[in-house]
Amino acid sequence: MTKRIFRSIMLVSALVLVIGLGFIMGILYHYFGSQIEKELKSETAYLAISVENMGITALDDLPAESARITLIAEDGSVLFDNKADASKMENHSNRQEVIAAKLKGVGKATRQSDTLSEKTIYYAKQLSNGQILRVSSTQYTVAALIGELVQPMLYVLLMMVVLSALFAARISKKIVSPINSLDLDQPERTEAYDEISPLLTKINKQQRTIRRQLSDARRQQQEFSIITENMSEGLLVIDAQTDLLSYNSSALHLLDATEAQAHASVLSLNRSESFQQTVDAVLSGKHTTSDLQIGENFCQVIANPVLRDKEVTGAVLLLVDITEKIQRENLRREFTANVSHELKTPLTSISGFAEIIQDGFVKPEDINKFAGKIFDEAQRLIALVGDVIKISQLDEGCLPYQKEETDLYTLAKETLERLREPAKRKQVSLFLEGEHAVFNTTRPILEEVLYNLCDNAIKYNHPDGKVTVTVLNGKNTISVSVADTGIGIPSTDQARVFERFYRVDKSHSKEIGGTGLGLSIVKHGAAYLGAQVELESCVGEGSLFRLVWGKEC
Amino acid sequence: MRTRFDKQLEQLHVELIKMGSLCEQAITLAAQALDQPERDVVKKVAAMEGEIDEKEREIENICMRLLLQQQPVARDLRIISAALKMISDLERIGDQAADIADLAPYIVSSSISSKVQIHDMAAATIRMVTLSVDAFVKNDLELAESVVISDDIVDDLFNKVKGELLDLIRKNNVDPRAALDILMAAKYFERIGDHAVNVAEWVQYSITGIHKSDEHHLDTEKE
Repeated sequence: MTKRIFRSIMLVSALVLVIGLGFIMGILYHYFGSQIEKELKSETAYLAISVENMGITALDDLPAESARITLIAEDGSVLFDNKADASKMENHSNRQEVIAAKLKGVGKATRQSDTLSEKTIYYAKQLSNGQILRVSSTQYTVAALIGELVQPMLYVLLMMVVLSALFAARISKKIVSPINSLDLDQPERTEAYDEISPLLTKINKQQRTIRRQLSDARRQQQEFSIITENMSEGLLVIDAQTDLLSYNSSALHLLDATEAQAHASVLSLNRSESFQQTVDAVLSGKHTTSDLQIGENFCQVIANPVLRDKEVTGAVLLLVDITEKIQRENLRREFTANVSHELKTPLTSISGFAEIIQDGFVKPEDINKFAGKIFDEAQRLIALVGDVIKISQLDEGCLPYQKEETDLYTLAKETLERLREPAKRKQVSLFLEGEHAVFNTTRPILEEVLYNLCDNAIKYNHPDGKVTVTVLNGKNTISVSVADTGIGIPSTDQARVFERFYRVDKSHSKEIGGTGLGLSIVKHGAAYLGAQVELESCVGEGSLFRLVWGKEC
Repeated sequence: MRTRFDKQLEQLHVELIKMGSLCEQAITLAAQALDQPERDVVKKVAAMEGEIDEKEREIENICMRLLLQQQPVARDLRIISAALKMISDLERIGDQAADIADLAPYIVSSSISSKVQIHDMAAATIRMVTLSVDAFVKNDLELAESVVISDDIVDDLFNKVKGELLDLIRKNNVDPRAALDILMAAKYFERIGDHAVNVAEWVQYSITGIHKSDEHHLDTEKE
């Protein structure tokens, strides 16, 4: 803008300068022309007087620098000329100024020289003796004058141009400076030309719109990142070249990656075959779901293509941690397999005994013994099925029992009473310690849990061992512990004894009996009752199981 | 122009990741083949080897195109030249995995593999390959260094396997042919470990600009 203003100013001033100079020259030239004519006229008049008085001798002492003076006789022959040899000059009678002087007494003529660079003005006057006195003066023509003046005029022009350039630069800067100093952040506060105030108002309005939209966008971005950062599912957004556009920390966590480089390929996070196939499939436009194993964890990848104008421009991958689900599935599968196995063993025995009896290989006196064995195995089956039913009921969480006020101490006493017989057989003595603790709970389940704990304590005990049940009614907690002096549980197995069908000593399970579900029932029952199960054990010294309830104040 | 170059570099990166992943799968399958006498596995590994060869050519083309069209300098040039070197090592890993898979049926039928530490060797080698590809993917100097170090483990294991085989042959309770097959497989694993080290060294070169062999030169020059 400054440049443009500068150029305009320069152009205008240069134009004005040139045109003005031209006009002035024209006027001056004209003025000087008429001035010369006047001078010639008066000079001729003075000379005429002196020539009339003194004759031709008056012209003898003319200074050399004077104008050209010619004296012409009446017949046209030249009598005198101060700049040329008069005798060699031709007859002048037919010259324009001479003819005019003969006719009117005075005459004047202007003639261009051959080179056109000069023009000569002649002024002639007839003297009283008939002779004609002619004075002439040369003047430069316009072209010559211009030629002569070009240099000084160029100097002047140059000076003018420099001056005007200086001024133009300053002026244009001054014009533009208010526009330059506009504060575009706050256009309405700036004082500038009235002409641009509508523009400023518009800028102001647009700026407000932009600010609003920006803050909207920022808020949306924040909302989005809060949502994605706080969800446990991993989210990956990739473009058609598999480059990573966006991700959340859960995704990195699930893929076991420490950090992702922006715009790196998503394959740098995981390059397993199934993941590659998923990415390829989704980028060919197919909705894909696949499972991925990362270390010990499993994660499901749900991939959706992003389509724009029916072309795949990228994909959104959702990663869901399904480790627990898979583990539970495995557990269930294991449980089913275990149950079938446990059910099959007694059934095979029953079937075997029955077959032997059927085939008549058994002596009549032994029939009772065999029937007893079949009965034992059937009892085992019933116990097992009962335990399975209990555990699946606890699993489902839908039990047909009501809560009631229960005294833990009394309940423990009853439980020990029920186990007196088996304890005697194993030569284990039972003790009950502690105080009464009455609270509201589901009695049948508590009974079941206690029974299983005490039953185990007796089963896994040494002969002459002890089982001590202690009920404590503390300030904040109620607890019941079952301690035995039995074989104990190795620390490596302590975490697993609550698993279904888990046995520390797999080879002797048959001798001890039980279904392998006892502690599993304890764990699930305790969870149902809202109690914590604690286990302290040392191999060879015994184990202590404790159930703890927090008291609600 | 620059973004186009970056895109091509990224493509090179992705293809290298894919090739590395293929190698990992091939060697994992080959190791599995030592346990399972399935013909399928051998075929699968052979197919994978073909795929790896194809990937090598593909990556080579990308590198050449990058070198000719973009005339990269400094770090970019290093990355591309390292990639060119790396793929030949990866390709060798693929070949050797296929060789192991070829031997696998004879080894399985002799049931000798449980008597020597070939499985430990396989596991250690797979770990090395995984680590070296990880080092490349993450551009991680430390990981690359750990690959170079763990080569000793594989070398030791190779010597152990060799000693165990020697004992078995001496005691004459093994089919010597199967023992030789196992020795071959062990040697292949050991070679794969060396190639993994090479890959890791090229990763180091692409990051630091100094290759292991250069260091030796520098050292000898100083002396």
